[in-house]
Amino acid sequence: MPGFATLAVNGPRDDRDPHHSLRYPLYDSVAFEFGSAKEIENAFLGRATSHSYSRTSNPTVTDFEKRIALLSGAQGVVAVSSGMAAIANVFLALAGQGDNIVTTKYLFGNTYSLFTRTLARWGLEVRFADLSNQAEVSSLIDGNTRAVFAESIANPQMVVFDLEELARTAHVKGVPLVVDSTVSTPYLFRGKDHGADIEVVSSTKYISGGATVVGGVILDNGIFNWKQNPHLAEDAAKFGPLAFYIRLRREVYRNVGACMAPHSAWLQTLGLETLQLRIDRSCGNTLIVAKYLENHPKVKAAYYPGLENSPWHSVAARLFPRGCGGLLAFRLESREASFRFIDALKLVHRATNLSDNKTLAIHPASTIYCDYTPEDREVFAVPDTLIRLSVGIEDAPDIVADLEQALEA
Amino acid sequence: MVLTVNGERKDFVQEVLSVSVLIAQLKVQDPEMVSVQFNGEFLDRANYGSTTVKNGDEIDFLYFMGGGAR
Repeated sequence: MPGFATLAVNGPRDDRDPHHSLRYPLYDSVAFEFGSAKEIENAFLGRATSHSYSRTSNPTVTDFEKRIALLSGAQGVVAVSSGMAAIANVFLALAGQGDNIVTTKYLFGNTYSLFTRTLARWGLEVRFADLSNQAEVSSLIDGNTRAVFAESIANPQMVVFDLEELARTAHVKGVPLVVDSTVSTPYLFRGKDHGADIEVVSSTKYISGGATVVGGVILDNGIFNWKQNPHLAEDAAKFGPLAFYIRLRREVYRNVGACMAPHSAWLQTLGLETLQLRIDRSCGNTLIVAKYLENHPKVKAAYYPGLENSPWHSVAARLFPRGCGGLLAFRLESREASFRFIDALKLVHRATNLSDNKTLAIHPASTIYCDYTPEDREVFAVPDTLIRLSVGIEDAPDIVADLEQALEA
Repeated sequence: MVLTVNGERKDFVQEVLSVSVLIAQLKVQDPEMVSVQFNGEFLDRANYGSTTVKNGDEIDFLYFMGGGAR
């Protein structure tokens, strides 16, 4: 099996462009024409793999999906319009009114809001647990639980739950583990090998690379027996391990309409080719920055699972042997000191994206979590003193020098 | 035997074939991704090896990765 970079650059190579274009073309077209009524009927019935309408499939998007499948080992990949669209599609397919999911309060702010506000209004109950306590997780799973959900590395808390242990707990109870692998991507975390049944990735981040377009992918790793989900049991008998993927394709993804634009897929495929180079560089830089920050007298605490002092270091080393990604967080003495630091940055950008080529800083409490009370933010482990840094691929000494001068400001 | 495969009549020298052998013989594209509709009913994947097709049967190999737009 060729290495990750070889696969990322060359793709599957089984679906060549009809004109032998070396770079798969951008099919920026809504509809595709058929030669006969029979042909278009066959496409609608699914007898042919023809593309007909870009909300349901498009050659450029399919090429991107196939590349992600090749790199992740996923059985099926669906590209959508954003990482949040990926999460929404997954839970609209897995759960319904009266069902529940088990997760943690250590979540990206919009994910927490999607669960507790948007999906809750449609009858989904969200049960919060300490995902490092398997007895607690197990006790919360009942006959109406449709998934356990966790981020591979919690953003911005930088907590790493033992996803293998969590998968075992979920599977014993007949429930799939859904993992948001945005900060790790299939390069750092191959979820299939660790028991993650479904993964969602905001491809806006590392995969896009230069922060060019918003996008998301859903990975069905093909390891869960969907007969255990009452909404999918009938389909599982017909379609086996493809039941969830087909439910997405035939119903939820098509009906919700949060498809990835062909132009986005083309740019993300371009980003994918250099993913390994950029992540390796970013991980190296992040470790240097994290070590610098943890030893700085003005820094009250630095959070990065790649640090040996991190309580999550040993779990992270097992789950992410290639590195712990480019995201870290640290605390200063006060909100005022945090704002002063951010305002003084000259190289590092003040922006809310992450895993960009550029290093970015943000104060999560006043931005991503601004809708929540200080008490809520304490529960989320997002205090007023926390700064999130997404470390880019610049020269590490330049990043450190900028942090140094901003800390002295 | 004569089968109707994806809406078209096809002749086979064999009188009986299992669905899994038929998938291999017809070199069905992406066999791991295909779903099989046999005489109008979706077939359980577990039964591809044990289900046999005979003269006059209708079988569809279906993909849900594309098609089906408005």
